[in-house]
Amino acid sequence: MLPRSDTSALRCLLFSFFFEVYPILLKVCLNFLLRRLRSLSVQLALIVTFHPFQVTKLSSGLVIASLENYSPASRIGVLVRAGSRYETMDSLGVTHLLRLASGLTTKGASAFRICRGIEAVGGSLGVTTTRETMLYTVDCLRDHIDTIMEYLINVTTAPEFRPWELSELTPRVKVDNAIASQSPQIDVLENLHAAAYKNALSNSLYCPDYMVGKITTDQMHTFVQNNFTSGRMALVGLGVDHAILKQVGEQFLNIRSGTGTAGSKAVYHGGELRNQTGDSLVHAVVVAESAAASSAEATAFSVLQHVLGTGPRVKRGSGSTSKLEQAISKATVQPFDASAFNSSYSDSGLFGVYTISQADATGDVIKAAVGQVGDIAQGNLAASDLSRAKTQLKAEYLMSIENSENLLEAIGTQALTEGTYHSLEAITQKIDADPTAVAKKFMSGKKSMAASGHLVTTPFLDEI
Amino acid sequence: MLAGGRLLLGFRKWYYNACGFNKLGLMRDDTIYEDHDVKEAIHRLPERVYNDRMFRIKRALDLSMKQQILPKNQWTKFEEDVHYLDPYLKEVIRERKEREEWQKK
Repeated sequence: MLPRSDTSALRCLLFSFFFEVYPILLKVCLNFLLRRLRSLSVQLALIVTFHPFQVTKLSSGLVIASLENYSPASRIGVLVRAGSRYETMDSLGVTHLLRLASGLTTKGASAFRICRGIEAVGGSLGVTTTRETMLYTVDCLRDHIDTIMEYLINVTTAPEFRPWELSELTPRVKVDNAIASQSPQIDVLENLHAAAYKNALSNSLYCPDYMVGKITTDQMHTFVQNNFTSGRMALVGLGVDHAILKQVGEQFLNIRSGTGTAGSKAVYHGGELRNQTGDSLVHAVVVAESAAASSAEATAFSVLQHVLGTGPRVKRGSGSTSKLEQAISKATVQPFDASAFNSSYSDSGLFGVYTISQADATGDVIKAAVGQVGDIAQGNLAASDLSRAKTQLKAEYLMSIENSENLLEAIGTQALTEGTYHSLEAITQKIDADPTAVAKKFMSGKKSMAASGHLVTTPFLDEI
Repeated sequence: MLAGGRLLLGFRKWYYNACGFNKLGLMRDDTIYEDHDVKEAIHRLPERVYNDRMFRIKRALDLSMKQQILPKNQWTKFEEDVHYLDPYLKEVIRERKEREEWQKK
C-alpha cells in the first residue's frame, strides 16, 4: 500500500487486520477449540467405556480375569489347580511329565504344528508348576491372539499323551532331575517338604527316580480328567479384550466341568531329613508350620521374614540391616548366608530360617539364627526395624508386579484362590501386622528340618 | 464297475488265499515292505501287538527255512486278518505330509 497520512495508515492497518489477518486468527482459534473439544469427547468416551481390570466368574466355575494395559504384546495364562500336591501315591511324578508334555500332540494340532505355529507368530508357550498350581502361559503380539489361543486351548483341554511321545520325554525328565540334584537349594527344599508333611505338600516337584520312564498314558489322562476341570481353572489375560477371553472361556474351556477330585488336606508332620554329601558348604533349613496364604497371619509372617532379612538389598553389600546376619556374625567369623524362609500354600505354610554355612560352623550358625527369632518372639524388636521390614515387603511386592510375567501370576493366583483381585492399595494396606505373635508361634511350633552337606556339626532338631 | 458286493467279496477272498502268506500264518500287515514310514509306524505299535507280529514273522521264517507250511486249520483266515498297522501308518503319513506342507511355505 502506498504510504498516506497517519490516520489513513491506521485505517490501512485496521483494514488489513480485518480482511486478512482476522480470518486466519479466527481459523486458528477455531481449530484449537475444536481439537480441545474432540480430545475432551474422547476422554469422556474413555471414562464411560474404559474398564482396565475386569473379573468374571462363569457358571461352570471358571474365573476369567483381564487387565488392559495397552501393550502391543499380549500375555494369556491358564492356571489350573493341578500342582504336585494332587498327585496320588501311585502316580508320583505325573506333574513333572505334564510340565514337559505341553508341546505334545493334541486332538486339534500335532506337536509339529504347535511348535511351528507358535514360532510363526513369534509367540511362546511355557509351563510353570508349583506345588499347588500349573500355569500355562502364552505371549504374542496382540494381532495374533486367536492363533495362539487355539494352541493354548488345545494344550490345556485336549492333550493326547501318545505313548511314543511320552517315552521321548524320558531323557528330558532325567536332565531335569540331574540339574536339580546339582543344586543344593532344590535338594534341601524338596527334602524339607517331604519331611514336614505327611501327604499332598510332601510330593516333590520332580519325578522320583523309580518312576522315570514308567508313567503311562492312562495315568496322565486320569490326572488331567480329575484335575483339569473348569471349576479349578482361571483364564487370565494381560493386554487382551475381556469379551474375547469370556467367549473363549464359555466355548472351549468347559470340556470338563465341576471341581474334579478334591485334594487331601495337607497334614503337617514335622520331621527331619539329612543328606550327607560331604560338601564343605552346608545348606540347612529349620521351619515350623506357619499359616495358610489367605489367613491374616500370613502377612505377619511375611513381615517377620523381612525383619529377619531376605538377603542383601544392595549388590555386594553387607546386608547389615538383616537381624539374622547381625545375630549370626556374633556367633562366628566364618562366611555364611542366612535368610528367612517363608512359603504359604492354600491350607498350610512353612516359616523358618535357611542358612548356608561352613561345615565346622554350622551348629553355631543355626543356633544363633533360631535364637534370633526367639529374641524377636520375646518382643525385642525396634520400631525402626519393623517399619523398615514393612516398607521392604511393600516395595518387594510392588516391584515384582512391574514384570508382566509376575503380574500375570499374581492376578491368576488371586483369581484362582479367591475369585477376585484385590487392588494394590488394598494389599499394601494389609501389610500392617505385628510379627511378635507369629515369632512366638514359630518358637513354640513343632519344627522340621532339612540339611545337606558335610553334616559333622549340624545339630539335630532336638539339639537346637 | 464289478456288479454286486458279494461278487467282489468272493474275488477278494480268492485273491487273499492265492497270495499264500496266510499259509505261513502271516497277516497282511506283516508282509508290508518296511520303508521309512512303515518303520516309524512299527515303532509306535503297542507292545503286545508288536510281540505278536514278531512271533508270526519268526514262525514264518522258520517254516520257510524248513520248506513247510502250516496245517490247514492254522492258516490265517480272511475274516481274521486284522490290518493292525493301518491307523499308525496313516498317522505317520499324515504327519509327514504336514511337515512337507510347512517346509514349502
